[in-house]
Amino acid sequence: MLRLIVQRLLALIPLLFIVSVMTFSFTSLLPSDPVDLILGETGTQEQHEMLRERMGLNEPIVVRYVQWLGRAVQGDLGTSFFNSVSVSTALMQRLPVTLSLTLVSALIAVVVGVAAGIAAALRPRSLIDRLATVGATFGQAIPNFWFGLLLVAIFAVNLRWFPATGFSPLSASPVDWLRSVTLPAIALGLSSSAAIARQVRSAMVGVLQQDYIRAARAQGLSSRRVILKHALTNAMVPVVAVLSFQITVLLGGALIVEQVFAINGLGTLAIGAVRQQDIPMIQGLVLVMVGLVVVVQLATDVIYGLLNPKARPS
Amino acid sequence: MRSWITGSTIAVAMALGLAASPALSQGSGTFKYAEQVKLITMDPQKQSGSGVPFLRPAYESLFEKGPNGENLPLLATDYAVDGLDVTITLRQGVSFTNGEPFNADAAAKNINRGVEIGIVEGLKTVESASAADEYTLIIRLKEFDPAIISTLCYTGGMMIAPAAMADPALDRNPVGTGPYVHIKTESREGEVQVYTPNPTYWDKDKIGLARYEVWEIPDDTARLNALKTGQIDAGNWLSNPQAAIIDRTPDLKLIRNNGGLNYHVIISDREGTVVPAFADPLVRKAMALSIDREGFNKAIQFGLAAKSFQPYGKGDWAYDPALEGVYDYDLDKARDLMAQSKFPDGFSFDMPSIPVYQSRLEALAGFFKEIGITMNIAPQEPGTLARVSRTTAYPATNLVWNTITDPKFLALRYVYDDANYNPFKAKPSETLLALAEEGLTSVETEVRAPVYRKMAEQLAEEAFLIFVTNAPILIGTSEKTANNPTVVYRYGEDSVNLRGLKAND
Repeated sequence: MLRLIVQRLLALIPLLFIVSVMTFSFTSLLPSDPVDLILGETGTQEQHEMLRERMGLNEPIVVRYVQWLGRAVQGDLGTSFFNSVSVSTALMQRLPVTLSLTLVSALIAVVVGVAAGIAAALRPRSLIDRLATVGATFGQAIPNFWFGLLLVAIFAVNLRWFPATGFSPLSASPVDWLRSVTLPAIALGLSSSAAIARQVRSAMVGVLQQDYIRAARAQGLSSRRVILKHALTNAMVPVVAVLSFQITVLLGGALIVEQVFAINGLGTLAIGAVRQQDIPMIQGLVLVMVGLVVVVQLATDVIYGLLNPKARPS
Repeated sequence: MRSWITGSTIAVAMALGLAASPALSQGSGTFKYAEQVKLITMDPQKQSGSGVPFLRPAYESLFEKGPNGENLPLLATDYAVDGLDVTITLRQGVSFTNGEPFNADAAAKNINRGVEIGIVEGLKTVESASAADEYTLIIRLKEFDPAIISTLCYTGGMMIAPAAMADPALDRNPVGTGPYVHIKTESREGEVQVYTPNPTYWDKDKIGLARYEVWEIPDDTARLNALKTGQIDAGNWLSNPQAAIIDRTPDLKLIRNNGGLNYHVIISDREGTVVPAFADPLVRKAMALSIDREGFNKAIQFGLAAKSFQPYGKGDWAYDPALEGVYDYDLDKARDLMAQSKFPDGFSFDMPSIPVYQSRLEALAGFFKEIGITMNIAPQEPGTLARVSRTTAYPATNLVWNTITDPKFLALRYVYDDANYNPFKAKPSETLLALAEEGLTSVETEVRAPVYRKMAEQLAEEAFLIFVTNAPILIGTSEKTANNPTVVYRYGEDSVNLRGLKAND
């Protein structure tokens, strides 16, 4: 298992290199010019040239990339084009926010999805099964930003149970953190819980018909033990793969949900950076997102191996 | 005995109250304002767009605008203009929050830095600044500039502590003379900037808050929800559905402040180099008449803007009431003018568009179609419209103009043959040129207003600038904020005057 982790982490290096080359190239091909945004509508040609020179934008793209890479391998991702905020600092400030949101969403998705999936699988074609299926379809169909707005209208604006906007750090107040993250996490986790519910139901229905489950029941094991220990463990193998994909989806979905709830995470940072064509910030963001996705996939492989010894690398 | 105790208690309480009064002069309560733009920089001399509410707590300008747009003293107490020399008398007894004294030397360093950086458009006429004595600042101009004092009311006149100018992170560590001090440790980058009272402020009685917060909430719906739930006391909006909701919600109020954005079409190729029809004034007038501005305002700007036929809105000193309705929607008249022109069968042209203007241009294309003109909308990348508008890539364009901008910039932008947005180098008419020059001969608005009114009339006559709507600055507030008598909005800005502002509760 340790070998797998080391291999995956080593594979991250060429992956990050390729991604950084692609990001740098594509953002440099954009027709808009950050100098326009900095100088506004009144900048003269001379000022444009001076600022381009100062920002190093007159250098060939290869030279700019090599300079950036040289600093990046030393841990310096540069500074925003638009202010003195370092990219690393900005990313480290926003990362806990997006991770909080994503992890709580994933937790909600797993709890709701697994519970709904088991309930549906235990009584196939029953009312509960049909309700779970309709709920899953509904959950996957509705956009998370719309659901988020609905939650805000009901629970923040009308009932005043939760704040409508903003994020409170966990270190400042756990209660405020929970209040600030609840609505966006529900909005974000809904569609993933639906996907997980479908997967759990499907896997559980198959597993519950297996001979070893009948044997376990015949041995007099309690229904709870049969379901949670024997059936669910085996049914979770494909679910983990879905969950891995869903966490990646959640990271992407956080970009939109952060806007709806005015949460200052990586998504908000990404949208601002793309709008301004803040290349150093975009580079840093893409690298962090790729890193997160790789870590999630690595964790999936590890969990997969723990659940299914046959899947462990030799 | 009891009365003695009661009397003594009251006396002690009063004494404590009196003893506590200096603390009260430091203000109490919190006021929360939400900005629709993200904070880019807190360096006033590098600030090129929105975001002034982040600067106002920490920085003060030499002058400020009064309720009717007049120039009032702030860090300066007086001024005199003598040709190219502007002599400014500075307020004494003011210091920056880092302890440096505010004097003519500091002010000169600020003006010279602003000139060197070159982002503040109003300082482009300044040659240099120097200190005549400790509290007398001399600004030497390259050319006579009637708007120089007005420039010093905004970011061009904001004073930074000289020692702080060397700080590479000045854009996040503002050091000014303002009533409040930026607290970096309590601020959260990209989310909220926090300010507390400046203990060395020169006019302590004007500090009414214990804390002032500026929140960055770019999403209009999120900002609206924050206002509805009391998370913010006020915030600014553009003319969008959320602003319309505020306008209709009983316990919220939408304030229409002076200034704002004038949306207009610019016929860049007015000599007909690429599109010959644009050289015909009848065609340009027909286009102006074909626009149903009332319908446009209702459909595109949710009824929050006003019809516009000139670069200024009602209440601005250069506004010309005589122009009201000059190009009111009249399709028959527009068709007649087209029939009389050399292009009765119509023509087509390309118009650059960015996503935020797409719906506006679709509406305009519909209006122009009615008189036989086909406007092809050419999508551009966001952030590129201004740049492309300065080139000959398109014969016409569409932009917004901040209505509080001094009229002299109208000529610099559109009229002169080397104007920023005159890429085809069209020669201005003699009348227009003469009026533009005449407007530069005085700093007094009473003298300049009639000149610029004539200039607006001439622009209407030549019709190469087709004004569509004027959207005022929109500030959404809670009912408590609306009823707070200390809340005063700065003339032409989307910010609250912090001097004297007290919390709603």
